[in-house]
Amino acid sequence: MATIQQHAYLFDATRCIDCRACMIACSVENSVPMNDSYIWVTGSAVMGEYPDLRRATMPYHCMHCLEPDCVSACPVGAWSKREDGPVLYDEDKCIGCRYCMNACPFSVPHFDWDKGLFGGALMHKCTMCVQRLEVGQEPACVQTCPTEALKFGEREALIAEAHSRIAAHPERYIDHVYGELENGGTSYLILSHVPFGELGLPDVGVTPVKNVSEAAMRATIPLALGWGAVLTGVTVGMELNKQRKDKAGKEEPAEVEAAAGGKR
Amino acid sequence: MKIDIAVPSRLYHFRPNPLPVILVALMAIGLAVAMVRFASGIGAISNLSNTYPWGFWISFDIYTGIAISSGAFLLAAAVYIFEIRSLRPLLMPTILTALLGYFMEVLALMVDLGRPERIFNMLFYQNFTSWMLVVGLCVMIYLAILAVEIAPIFLRGLKQDKWAHFARRFIKPAVILGVVVSTIHQGSLGALLLIQSAKLHPLWWTPLLPVMFFVSSISIGLAMVIFESSMTSRYFKSHHLEIKLLAKVAGAIPYAVGIYAVLRFAQLFLSGNSQYLFSSGLMSVLFWVEIVIGVVVPFILFISPRNRADPRTLLIGAIILLVGMVLNRFNVSWFGIHRLQEVGYVPSLAEISISLAIFSFGILAFGLGARYLPLFEDSDAIAERA
Repeated sequence: MATIQQHAYLFDATRCIDCRACMIACSVENSVPMNDSYIWVTGSAVMGEYPDLRRATMPYHCMHCLEPDCVSACPVGAWSKREDGPVLYDEDKCIGCRYCMNACPFSVPHFDWDKGLFGGALMHKCTMCVQRLEVGQEPACVQTCPTEALKFGEREALIAEAHSRIAAHPERYIDHVYGELENGGTSYLILSHVPFGELGLPDVGVTPVKNVSEAAMRATIPLALGWGAVLTGVTVGMELNKQRKDKAGKEEPAEVEAAAGGKR
Repeated sequence: MKIDIAVPSRLYHFRPNPLPVILVALMAIGLAVAMVRFASGIGAISNLSNTYPWGFWISFDIYTGIAISSGAFLLAAAVYIFEIRSLRPLLMPTILTALLGYFMEVLALMVDLGRPERIFNMLFYQNFTSWMLVVGLCVMIYLAILAVEIAPIFLRGLKQDKWAHFARRFIKPAVILGVVVSTIHQGSLGALLLIQSAKLHPLWWTPLLPVMFFVSSISIGLAMVIFESSMTSRYFKSHHLEIKLLAKVAGAIPYAVGIYAVLRFAQLFLSGNSQYLFSSGLMSVLFWVEIVIGVVVPFILFISPRNRADPRTLLIGAIILLVGMVLNRFNVSWFGIHRLQEVGYVPSLAEISISLAIFSFGILAFGLGARYLPLFEDSDAIAERA
């Protein structure tokens, strides 16, 4: 297996049978309880009107954005993006502010609501099974999937494959690869036969949501320095003005006295 | 050494009063609930969830708490930078409120943060693209600045006039830095929401959120000065109401809310998001309620000089403005945010009890401050001693 530059998943909703083997595999591989695994299944409701009923499901987990908003948002830099794909977490830095949960447009990071001061509450999310990548294996969910609804590999190659699947069966798919451009591009690519909203995916633009936030941040230091300079200027100006008035106030009576003395 | 704490006799004599007892009881309940949280986690006492990572605490203790602390930087700027000396009698109570307000926010964070024991990680691991870092640092820096601003009075309360005089030297630089930090801090609470462009309803989300927050914090601060002075003059019988000064403060409110309204609506129409003004159901209703009681009614009330001279109208107008603007803070940080999962959230009684306890602490501490510190000295007395 050639070295992969940018790891990614491809999920094909037409192949998913909602067996949840991915959740079990994830739970076992990462030693997390089933009800708290890094994967949760979305979109399982029956949609449409009889007789045109349809049901679509998706294992929802971290999108591993190319430009992750959690990395931008974290005050202490607990989140980081590894060059070959995974978005990772440093549990020693996290202060538990949960801003990443708000910042993530896909609402992925989860928090330990049941851990107190001594339990050590932390954030949790999919790690792309980095421990398996190190030894040349695929993530546990992908390896377990019985219908090849999940595939893992080089991002560019998977995007090409997704488009060729659509081209081969245009009647089967919506002509869009979710994640190719969404939020600046993600490493979880999704093909679907139902609108992506029905899979629980948000409607996000192609620019990462962090861009406006970071632009505002860049403007802040010059603005703050300018504002500080203006205020200092006003303060000094008012002070000098007051001193001049005081001085004038003191000199005036003296002049009057002198003038009066001259007359005498 | 015997420290003789002088209580100006004209100030206040404790009447038998149930209020302090109630406040202490509320604090005790909150403390007990907080112990449960520290033992068994935030989930044990709150209805927060992965769908609602932030809730009542953030909207009330942080968003509202910081907004209503803005009176201090406005008055400090007016008195120390622009030399509007007549406003001096209002200054120190407002600074004490802000100091307590910021301290209360720190208390709230100690409960709301997942790892409160790591709060100082913000000093050791800093990510300078994070608005959360800016918010945290602003709280720390501004607390220190407020301490410097209140030091002279505090030292005079301890009869250390020499040190009080010494501390006065640092006030002007502290005030300038304080105004800059406050500006950033008020704006940064809006900036926290910039990254939620895909979640916050377009009636509120705009790249100008930091500006909106700063501008609205001005009217909130002015209303708080009126509210607080009116309340203290009721409670501390001998502290007479500075009605002329409050009328002066109220005179600035139509300008503050007027500029804010122009900004809000110009932004909505220029961005095309005005289409949501009447078409977004509950969101449109929340928007209009916020605008009518936070902007329109205060504008109409305070534009008339006769209303501004009437203590009752002043107080009622200030309360209406505060309710409207607080609704704005709840809208942007809670009601207006779209959730991917259809999970509801209503704050639990335990959550509310924490906020009540912190609030009770603030009121009690303010009462003690008003009793033992020369907070209400009029401008002549301060000028003479200086």
